[in-house]
Amino acid sequence: MSVFITSTGAFLPGPPVTNNEIEDILGYVDGKPSRLKSRILKANGILTRHYAIDKSHRTTHSNCDMAVAAARQCLEESPYSANRIDMLSCATSQGDMILPGFGSMVQADLGIPEVELHTTHGICSSSIMAVKAAFNTLRTGDQSNALVVASEFASRLFKNTRYEATGGYDSIDFESEFLRWMLSDGAGALILENSPRSQCLRIDWIRSFSHADAFPVCMGIGVPGDSTNEMTWQDFASYAQAEAAGAILIRQNIRLLENSVKLGVDGALRLIDEGLLDIKNIDHLLCHYSSHHFRGKIFAMLDMAGARIDEEKWYSNLYTRGNTGCASILIMLDEFLREQRARTGDKILCMVPESGRFNNAYMQLTVVDGQ
Amino acid sequence: MSEPVVIERPEVLSVIGQELLRHLMRNWFEFERRLAKIPIIHRLDIGQFTVDDYRKLLLNLRPQVVEGARWISRCASSFDRGHADVRSIIIGHAKDEHRDYEILESDFVASGGDLVEIKNQPRNPGSEALHAFLMYRASQPNPADLLGAMWIIEGLGDKMANDWAARIEDLLGSKGDNTRFLRYHASNDDSHMNNLYGLIDRLCITQEIANDVLRTADVVGRLYAMQLEEIEYA
Repeated sequence: MSVFITSTGAFLPGPPVTNNEIEDILGYVDGKPSRLKSRILKANGILTRHYAIDKSHRTTHSNCDMAVAAARQCLEESPYSANRIDMLSCATSQGDMILPGFGSMVQADLGIPEVELHTTHGICSSSIMAVKAAFNTLRTGDQSNALVVASEFASRLFKNTRYEATGGYDSIDFESEFLRWMLSDGAGALILENSPRSQCLRIDWIRSFSHADAFPVCMGIGVPGDSTNEMTWQDFASYAQAEAAGAILIRQNIRLLENSVKLGVDGALRLIDEGLLDIKNIDHLLCHYSSHHFRGKIFAMLDMAGARIDEEKWYSNLYTRGNTGCASILIMLDEFLREQRARTGDKILCMVPESGRFNNAYMQLTVVDGQ
Repeated sequence: MSEPVVIERPEVLSVIGQELLRHLMRNWFEFERRLAKIPIIHRLDIGQFTVDDYRKLLLNLRPQVVEGARWISRCASSFDRGHADVRSIIIGHAKDEHRDYEILESDFVASGGDLVEIKNQPRNPGSEALHAFLMYRASQPNPADLLGAMWIIEGLGDKMANDWAARIEDLLGSKGDNTRFLRYHASNDDSHMNNLYGLIDRLCITQEIANDVLRTADVVGRLYAMQLEEIEYA
C-alpha cells in the first residue's frame, strides 16, 4: 500500500536571533564573552536561529508546546481534525519530562483520543525513524493516517549557568562548547495518508544504516568530561555531583565528527548499489548537514564517486532556521514545499547523517498529483 | 635520464572506472569501520592510547614497511612491455618508499624503544599473510589488481596517517619528533593517490579486471586489519 505526505507544518519560537544576539540570550559564562563563538559560527554558516527561552532564561514555549504548534499548522491545512488521527509518531532528543514518552505529552495537548502512539528517542535521525514507523504502520494497513511530529528544545542546555555549575569559563573545553553555537529550537510535522490529496509527496522508500558498532559516541549527554571516568550521570550520588562533573553537558567529539560525512556518503553509495537510489533522477536534495563546513565535503565525496548531485539541486534552510536536531529535516521539507520549488514528478532525496553514534537515514519522495 | 611519467587523474573516469571507484570508496569506508573496532585503534579513538601502545604499533608495522618496496618492485617488474608507462610510475613509487623503514625506526627510538629490538622484530601472523599475498599477486603477469592494494595502503597514508599522528602527539604530549613516519606518509601518499586515479582508467578496461581490483582491495584490507589485531597478541 502506498503512503503519501499530504500536509506539513513547522514552528519556530520567537523572532530570529542573529549571531550577535546569541550570547545575550544564552548568557555570558562568568560574565565573559566566548573565545570560540565566532570561529564555530564561521564554520557552520548559520546566520539566524530561534530560541524558546528569553534573556532571563524563562521558557517561552515548552518542547511540547512547539511540537503541538507545528502539528496544529499541519492539521489546519489538512481535512483532519486532531480527533481523527489514527497514529501519532513523535521524535525528540529530550522531552520536557524525562518520563513518560514525549508522544504521550504531545497527544494530551493535541487532545487526540485513542491514538496508536509511538515515540522515538535519539538525535537528528530520530525524526526519520518516527516517519518510518508511521510509514510502515500505514503500509501494513493497520492505520489509514498518521501525524508525525519532531521537536527540539536544545537552548535550555546552553544557559551560562550550566557551564558555571561545572567550573565556569576557565574549565570549558571545545567539545562541550561547540554545540552551544550550533543547536537551536523548533518543531516540524507531517501528515501521512494512504491516498494522495492534491499535490503531495509519495514516500518511495526510507532506509537507515547505523554504525554504532564501529565507533565511539560522537555526540551525547551523560558522561563527564574526563574520559577516564566511566560513570554515567545517574551513577553519581546526586544530580548535583553529576552536573559538577560535567556529565549533564552536551558534548560533540570534533575529531570523530568527520566520520558522519563519510558514512553519510557510504549509505548513499550503498543505496545506489542496491538499485533503490538513482542519482540521475534526483531533482532536489534536502540534506541535514549540521554545518556548512560539511556541505562541501559531502559534495566532493559524492562527486568523486560519480554520484554528483548538482549544487542547484541542494536545498537547505540551515542558515536562517538553525540546526534544530531531529526537527531540522521536517522544518526543511515544510519550507521547501511552501516555496513551491517542486513540480509533479520531481524526486526528492532527504538525507540525515547523524553524528550521535553514526546513524544515517535516507528517504526518497516523489511529487504526485492526487484527486 | 628521461622525465618521470605521470598519468594525471582524469577529469572523467570511464564507466567501468567510475563504478570501480564507487565500489572502492565503499570498500574503504568499510575498512575504516573494521579498523575502528581493532583494540589498539579503539584505544586511540577513546583517548586511552599509551606510549607502550605506540611502540607496539611501530614494532608491528616495521616488517610490512621494510618489505613494502619489495612487493612494489616485484609488481613493477611483472608488467610487460605493453605497460612500460605503468611500470615507470610503480618504479617511482617503490623508490619513494624503499627507505621509509628508517624513519619508522627512528620514531621507535624517539619513543623510548630499542633499535636492536625493532630491527629483529619478526612479522606477526597478519603481516606474514599480508606480505605473502602481496608477493604472490605481484608475481602474476600484469598484476593490475594490485591497484586494490595501493588503494588500501596508500589510502592509509593519505586519509589516516595525519589524523593518527595528530591524535598520538596529542595523547602522548609529543612535539612531532616521534611521528615523522606517519607525517611523511601523509604528505607523500597524496601524490600516489593521484597516480592511482590515472591508473584506474589506464588499467581497468574490462569488468573482470575491475572485479579483481576490488577483490584484492578487500583481501588487503582484511589482512591489514589482521596485522593490527595481532598487536594484542604479539
